[in-house]
Amino acid sequence: MSRSDKIEGAVSALILICVFLLGVAILGWGRQAGYVLHGWLIAAAAACGLLYLLRLFSDPPRDIPLAYKDDVIKWGVLLCFVWGIVGFTVGDVLAWQLAVPSLNGDMGWSNFGRMRPVHTTAVLFGFAGNALIATSFYVVQRTSRARIASETAPWMVLGGYNLFVLLAVTGYPLGITQSREYAEPEWYADLILLFAWVSYLVLYLRTLARRAEPHIYVANWYFLAYIVVIAMLHTVNNLAVPVSIAYPKSYALFSGVQDAMTQWWYGHNAAGFLLTSGFLGMMYYFLPKAAGRPIYSYRLSIIGFWGITFLYLWVGSHHLHYTALPDWVQYLGMTMSVILLVPSWGTVFNGIFTLNGAWDKVRTDPAIRFMMVAVLFYGLTTFEGSFLAIRPVNTLSHYTDWTVGHVHAGALGWVAFLTFGAMYKMVPWIWHRDGVYSLRLEAWHFWLALSGTLIYVGAMWNSGITQALMWQTYDANGAFVFAFIDTVDAMRPYFFARAIGGFLYLLGACIGAYNIYRTVTGPRRAPLGTDERPLTLNAGE
Amino acid sequence: MTSEIDQASGQPTTGHEWDGIRELDTPVPRSMSLCMWVSIAASAVLWVLYPAFPFINDYTRGVLGYSSRTTVTQKVNQGNAARQAAFRIFADKTVTELAQIPDLKHRFGEAIGVLYRDNCSACHGRDLAGQANFPNLADAHWLWSGTPDDIELTLQHGINHSSEDTRYAEMPAFGRDGMLEKDEIAQAVEYVLSLSGSDHDTGLAEIGAGVFADSCAACHGDAGTGGLGNGAPSLADGAWIYGGSRDALHETLRHGRAGVMPGWANRLSPEEIRMLTLYVLWAGQDDKP
Repeated sequence: MSRSDKIEGAVSALILICVFLLGVAILGWGRQAGYVLHGWLIAAAAACGLLYLLRLFSDPPRDIPLAYKDDVIKWGVLLCFVWGIVGFTVGDVLAWQLAVPSLNGDMGWSNFGRMRPVHTTAVLFGFAGNALIATSFYVVQRTSRARIASETAPWMVLGGYNLFVLLAVTGYPLGITQSREYAEPEWYADLILLFAWVSYLVLYLRTLARRAEPHIYVANWYFLAYIVVIAMLHTVNNLAVPVSIAYPKSYALFSGVQDAMTQWWYGHNAAGFLLTSGFLGMMYYFLPKAAGRPIYSYRLSIIGFWGITFLYLWVGSHHLHYTALPDWVQYLGMTMSVILLVPSWGTVFNGIFTLNGAWDKVRTDPAIRFMMVAVLFYGLTTFEGSFLAIRPVNTLSHYTDWTVGHVHAGALGWVAFLTFGAMYKMVPWIWHRDGVYSLRLEAWHFWLALSGTLIYVGAMWNSGITQALMWQTYDANGAFVFAFIDTVDAMRPYFFARAIGGFLYLLGACIGAYNIYRTVTGPRRAPLGTDERPLTLNAGE
Repeated sequence: MTSEIDQASGQPTTGHEWDGIRELDTPVPRSMSLCMWVSIAASAVLWVLYPAFPFINDYTRGVLGYSSRTTVTQKVNQGNAARQAAFRIFADKTVTELAQIPDLKHRFGEAIGVLYRDNCSACHGRDLAGQANFPNLADAHWLWSGTPDDIELTLQHGINHSSEDTRYAEMPAFGRDGMLEKDEIAQAVEYVLSLSGSDHDTGLAEIGAGVFADSCAACHGDAGTGGLGNGAPSLADGAWIYGGSRDALHETLRHGRAGVMPGWANRLSPEEIRMLTLYVLWAGQDDKP
């Protein structure tokens, strides 16, 4: 065992011991059932990790094969689909609850306020996050021509991350939340994510450092940006003081408008770096790889990357237009949002034109179709985002369903379409299969997902604009023409349409999960392919 | 690792390759550079016109001198002034006088309906017909009299509310607090059922009449018709707030009732309270021949 392996083992053991003690402290001193349950979960997960490490140290050192490490990626794919189905199902249940409110069964834990974060956390962190971890591990190894830099760290990252997601979604129905949108988990879950995420960053950098390629590929720029910025956002937005070890409750370090600004700096950049930067990393590998075409323009890659990375961090304030936030912060956020459009669209063109010379594959290969439509939705969403960030436009869209439609155009159309496209390519590659089990089912998935997304987004545009116009209608005396409940009435047809669109999307995802399952359990490909070629440590091969 | 020409596009590659992925060195389209500079220029203009960049203790104010706070204060003042002028009549007259003006409903009914739906309909329903635990405002039955002044007072100070001048009415928990035995409650319930002509056990009801006279009549009156002075509802009119079934009456006698109507004096303006008072009166009028 090398020296660096020993250091890594010691650090891993130290982290796991800390996490274990945290779990024991919570289950020992905790005074709330859900919180104590979380203590047990944390302690059990850390104990499993420690036992695994112990076995690793006591066994004679194993030879590390000169091949890509894909076992952890397989688990990432599995978790991605499990969280995806959970998240989509809860999302559609919520959509039906909005159309028919009594569907929550009049139970505290099942009401909209508690179930919504289950949906958002399961899809954003469970589905999208696991997809990013899995594909980033895949991409960094291939484009660096190096095995991932550690045997244990990838498991720590994936395990710690999913422990965080599990703690989050099991806490919400019991009322454990710090009520910060997309950052709801309390301090102890945040600490676990922090450990996992810093391990992720270190692992990624170490893998890049041992690359056998002279340059770092664009996909890795984006993955690295996503890892670095999420680490920063997560830390700052979750600065909070726990009340006591006996309760999950904590209080944020900031207050008032500073707190709101911190939250939306986080919230917007979670969209900007988790859902945009990370997924652009995914696109920059899987799209050209699947199409067999070179990237359209290296220059556009550079403009897109630095434009997005620099500008996104300024624009969170456009979520707080016309609030107590000082005007200068609002105008700065608004103008940076407008400038952000062209670099974003540069990336869209870079993706779409990469298909030049391979357009026939869009017709024959549903996975490429998924990725192409994803890029188009990315273009649509970034245009819409810059547009909605303009203050006068925001007076119409803010607090309406238009925002919900906007975020779902991005989440369903861009994030999930790209994930599905990439998964349909990566799963046969890592499991060594000839291809996906059924192209027919893949096409069904595509059309269900597309029609679901269009119905969803179309319904929310209509709903949002109707809502906004009704809110702003006054009679000649300056009195409201519509009561709030009248606008809720007007939303009902759109709420039903959204629930139906969401159901189609869920149905497609279930077909997709089945297709992936059959692919994984199907026959192994006979001959060795090029991507199974053993690695060399020699850069000049 | 040298640049070559891609056949499909005719563009040179950068000469790099990762896992089979290459990149073209296509120049940035001129139109895109143009759009980029236009968006930056437009933003720069906005930076000059509006507040945009911070210093240590201050920020650039912008040549337009724009401020959200000033703008919104102006607009709110303008709106208030316009509304005050439009709804002046509700400030100038008492609610009793307003109730005599015949075309008021036609002129302001729609707008007051919005006010009602935003503030009252959650409990009393959009049709004013109430729902379980919340009284009907559209029928001819009143708890505290249906005169304009009395309705206005209820709206201002509520019932069982924290306001000092609130109306106070509580049905005691006869069972829970041990004021009546179980069989006495059963007898009283049968008697109350008989008052509104519902199905009842005549034997028990006869005994119940005595229980009623001792324990209930003080508030609900000897005939069970209630009293507008203390807010005790009539038990003989077939209209129920908490339900008139045998089970519901048992529940009421055992555990009591103390429904709350919020006082609106601190949340709505006097004019708005008058408007809502009229709205309730108008709804009741349809009920009367």
